[in-house]
Amino acid sequence: MRTEFPRSTLKGLAVAVAAALTLGAGAAGAQPAGPPPLGAGGLPSGGLPPLPGGASGGALPQLPAGGPAGAPLGGFAMPQVPPTPAEQLIAGLAPPSPGVVFPGPALGPDAPTSSADPRDLQGTWYHNQKLETRIQRDMYGELAPYNMEGAKVLARRVKSKDAGKPFVNASAICRPPGPLWQRDLNMPFQIFQSNDAVEFVFEEYHGRWRVALDMAKAPPPAQKDYMGYSVGHWDGATLVVETSDFKQALWLDVDGTPLSANGKLIQRIRKVDNGDSKPFLEVITTIDDPTYYTRPWSVVRTFVWNPRMTYFDEYNCEEQVGDPSTDPDAGLVPEPKD
Amino acid sequence: MVMIKSRPRHGGGPVLVGALLAAGIAASATAQPATPNLQGVWKIAAPTNSLKPVSGPVPFTAEGRKQYDENKRLQAKGDYDDYDITLSRCSNPGTPRLMLIPSRFKIWERFGVVTFDFEWNQVIRQVNASKLEPKEDRIGRRLVPSATGTAVGRWEGDALVAESTNLSERTLLDDLVPHTVDMKVTEHFRLVDPDTLEDRITIDDPTYFTRPWDAVLTFKRQPATLFHEDVCLDRIKAKQPAFPQ
Repeated sequence: MRTEFPRSTLKGLAVAVAAALTLGAGAAGAQPAGPPPLGAGGLPSGGLPPLPGGASGGALPQLPAGGPAGAPLGGFAMPQVPPTPAEQLIAGLAPPSPGVVFPGPALGPDAPTSSADPRDLQGTWYHNQKLETRIQRDMYGELAPYNMEGAKVLARRVKSKDAGKPFVNASAICRPPGPLWQRDLNMPFQIFQSNDAVEFVFEEYHGRWRVALDMAKAPPPAQKDYMGYSVGHWDGATLVVETSDFKQALWLDVDGTPLSANGKLIQRIRKVDNGDSKPFLEVITTIDDPTYYTRPWSVVRTFVWNPRMTYFDEYNCEEQVGDPSTDPDAGLVPEPKD
Repeated sequence: MVMIKSRPRHGGGPVLVGALLAAGIAASATAQPATPNLQGVWKIAAPTNSLKPVSGPVPFTAEGRKQYDENKRLQAKGDYDDYDITLSRCSNPGTPRLMLIPSRFKIWERFGVVTFDFEWNQVIRQVNASKLEPKEDRIGRRLVPSATGTAVGRWEGDALVAESTNLSERTLLDDLVPHTVDMKVTEHFRLVDPDTLEDRITIDDPTYFTRPWDAVLTFKRQPATLFHEDVCLDRIKAKQPAFPQ
């Protein structure tokens, strides 16, 4: 036997990150206190305008009986729309755990700079917004357009977590969590690209997001992937990537905002450079999934340039998840089928 | 097959990393250091389950021999999880065993950090040959040894020299040979020719080996391509071997 390694000292590493995320504490919630989070929305100066407060998580405002109060807008009163049953169900959930973010290391004057080519996305990037453990709202601050099925699935997951019995999901069992959750983590990733493909290599989850720019050279796999099949094209300086053909339904975030296996993610990715050698990536993700939502809706994320994060920490989820002395599902319970 | 263009090879021989910076030329994401170009897709030339010394048998100490024999006994019984959690759980095979994997890997170089991007289970190992300080270890991941440890690199002539320490003793050197946490692995990576990569590996672990010993692995360049998603745990769940046969 060579199992004398002090396993207890391993706790808190890779699996703990996944489990903590799953339990809703959030990866950052398990971390020691650090520098204060970035400003509203975590957006760099000169970039996008701050998101509405509700867009970065937290409790949803209570919906008054009879719908939102009318608000004068240049003399125009918003029509009062009663909340749908789906909205009422979502509004009744306990608020998500607040996410935090830690700034990456300072770039310093000698840090490598990004290519001046707006279509060259290569380099090391780091999500600089607070992790949204439950996305809830779109990039305009509006409630995500859950239909009743979507609201039921999310409510089931949130209530199960709040009851101390969170459901098994991909990340907790060392499976790829899907493009949106993978990118949302506040862990660095590198981008490598050619004329034919763009590859995202993440520190966490053995994560890869492979984008084919030429379907003829990278056709869909024989068997569907957890991360789906992603095809991209350039629209000016914006890389537009459509991801579909998922092996299974995804959780879009820690609390389980759902995407069905038939859903699609459309990502519009551009490098924003304000001329200060501190570019950032803007990724607008549109979620298109009639199974769970009444219409497509979009969220925006930013990722700052940080070559000082190129040397990753090791991720080895399997060492602990497969340990026969621990629960193979990290203490989570199977989610009932619809 | 996606053909991914690699940067042009340098014909003027090796130049020390940092020369560009020393000359006052700002590096960029696509401006590569003037070192031998190891980038591309590679595959081991002669797949093997054993890390064989260049000459003679593995120079075990009595303690190393005892652990090796125990591993053989457990292997014969099929008790993989008691000595090889790569086979039983898909745990990262670690350094240097990763280099024995029969499937392909890519090498990327950015900012002096060399990333080995393996097709198998999408694992990576990295060698930090940059001047960049490692990022802050906020959750104490580096407090315990890991499969690929801490790998510091430098260029010596035409070779990338990688020294790996802090390597978990829960990994093996190959299918059977054990090591302790005090092992140091030194690798010299160099291009024998444009399509042949050599990894000369020196194992230094006085507890299990009477002297440092060398092994040499050779890899052949492969066509550039996008790898497909590979999830080892799905094979284990399907009662298949961790390494596809």
